[in-house]
Amino acid sequence: MGNKYSLWAVYFCTGCGIIEVPPVITTRWDAERFGVIPVATPRQANLFLITGYVSLKTLKAIIRTYELMPEPKYTVGFGSCPINGGMYWDSYNTIKHLDKYIPIDGWIAGCMPRPEAIFIAVTHLWTLIDKDMANGYIKYREKYQYYRKNQESVLGKLAWPPQFEKGNVHG
Amino acid sequence: MGAAAYILTPIIGLIVGIFFMGLFRIMMARIHWRYGPPLTQPIIDIIKLLFQKSVSHGIIFELGLFFSLAGSVVTLYFVPIGNICPLKISGGLLVVLYLMLIAPMGIALSGGGGANPNISIGISRKMLLALSYEVPFLLIILTLMVHYRTISLVDLVNFQRTSGWAIISLPIAGIAYLLILPAMLGIRPFEIAEAPQEIASGLKVEYSGKLLALYYIEHAFRRFLVIALFVNLFLGGAGEPFTFLLKMLIVFVLGVFVNAVFPRFRIEQAIRFNWTWPTILALAGLIITYMWGGHG
Repeated sequence: MGNKYSLWAVYFCTGCGIIEVPPVITTRWDAERFGVIPVATPRQANLFLITGYVSLKTLKAIIRTYELMPEPKYTVGFGSCPINGGMYWDSYNTIKHLDKYIPIDGWIAGCMPRPEAIFIAVTHLWTLIDKDMANGYIKYREKYQYYRKNQESVLGKLAWPPQFEKGNVHG
Repeated sequence: MGAAAYILTPIIGLIVGIFFMGLFRIMMARIHWRYGPPLTQPIIDIIKLLFQKSVSHGIIFELGLFFSLAGSVVTLYFVPIGNICPLKISGGLLVVLYLMLIAPMGIALSGGGGANPNISIGISRKMLLALSYEVPFLLIILTLMVHYRTISLVDLVNFQRTSGWAIISLPIAGIAYLLILPAMLGIRPFEIAEAPQEIASGLKVEYSGKLLALYYIEHAFRRFLVIALFVNLFLGGAGEPFTFLLKMLIVFVLGVFVNAVFPRFRIEQAIRFNWTWPTILALAGLIITYMWGGHG
């Protein structure tokens, strides 16, 4: 309730896509009209914009940040790189399909997407929330074993315990 | 009035405090040449936070917040809002001075349970800032007590309604109070305890969901309290709540302009500022008032 019009984005910069975010939150495009503001800590955020390519090191930080965010939470992949690797399609150190490791509720394609694309994504996320289709966080709970297996297959043994035990989907 | 005032005062404080939060964001946006969020945005945010899952770090982490919220609400009972004042005791000003410290202490207690290094930095900054503005604040209160020869907040307001506003009869103390008002409100240039860019929003870094909503409600009360105290002490209070709230709005808008224009101080710059100009002015005001004698 109220999630729709109050999306607080965690200030997490992965790749070059973050260069599009300062104009979005400041005078030129003013994301605050939509209730989107950046917050400095994942504990208060419920929107996670993954802006740009994801290296193996960044993936570790992304998973931790995502697990710290309180439910309900929404993730949006920004740019081509999180979708399929983009221009880093043959890189040895870059994640190609981010949605194998954490659930993604929506994608913004483009290299780079214009700042307006973020607003289209936000309004589209509103319709998804209305139709109960932005349920990535529920999927993460239910298929946690699948995600954890994928995470461990690229990162080796993870330094933190599983967030959800088998059969206990309520955390 | 009677018992109804006990319920009415927190409701007025909450509604006006949250309205101020919304107005704050709109005015900041317009000064930055943005369109800004709707006025109801803080209400939407608080409703969202109340329905979110929250992460707790133990019993002290939660109780500290309730402690500080209770401190703010109780202080509000001693501050007259127009003619609404549930507790009209004879030593109101002294009680307010003591009770006003409960809210930051509660937040500090709660933060101690959080065990996040950013919280420790935020608490130390908040306490240092409180230490720096309490010195001129106490001198200003002493000036008022000497001038009007009373320690009752209600009497102080009544004297001002017969003999003119204190900001006109005691201009030096009034200017000193205006200089420390941003520090008491916790807005820029004294936003050091909650600097999101430096220490990841400091004190509130570990709050999430319902606890963050409580923190925002406490913040709304606190902001209302500080401005209401200024209006009572220097702008003569008011006969009915509406005029009182109008005076509060004017003081608040002044604060927003200061907040929009100035960058943030470093902690030692903030303390140096508070211990020089406001303290010198407050001390000068106290000495002049003492020499001339009070009128009460």
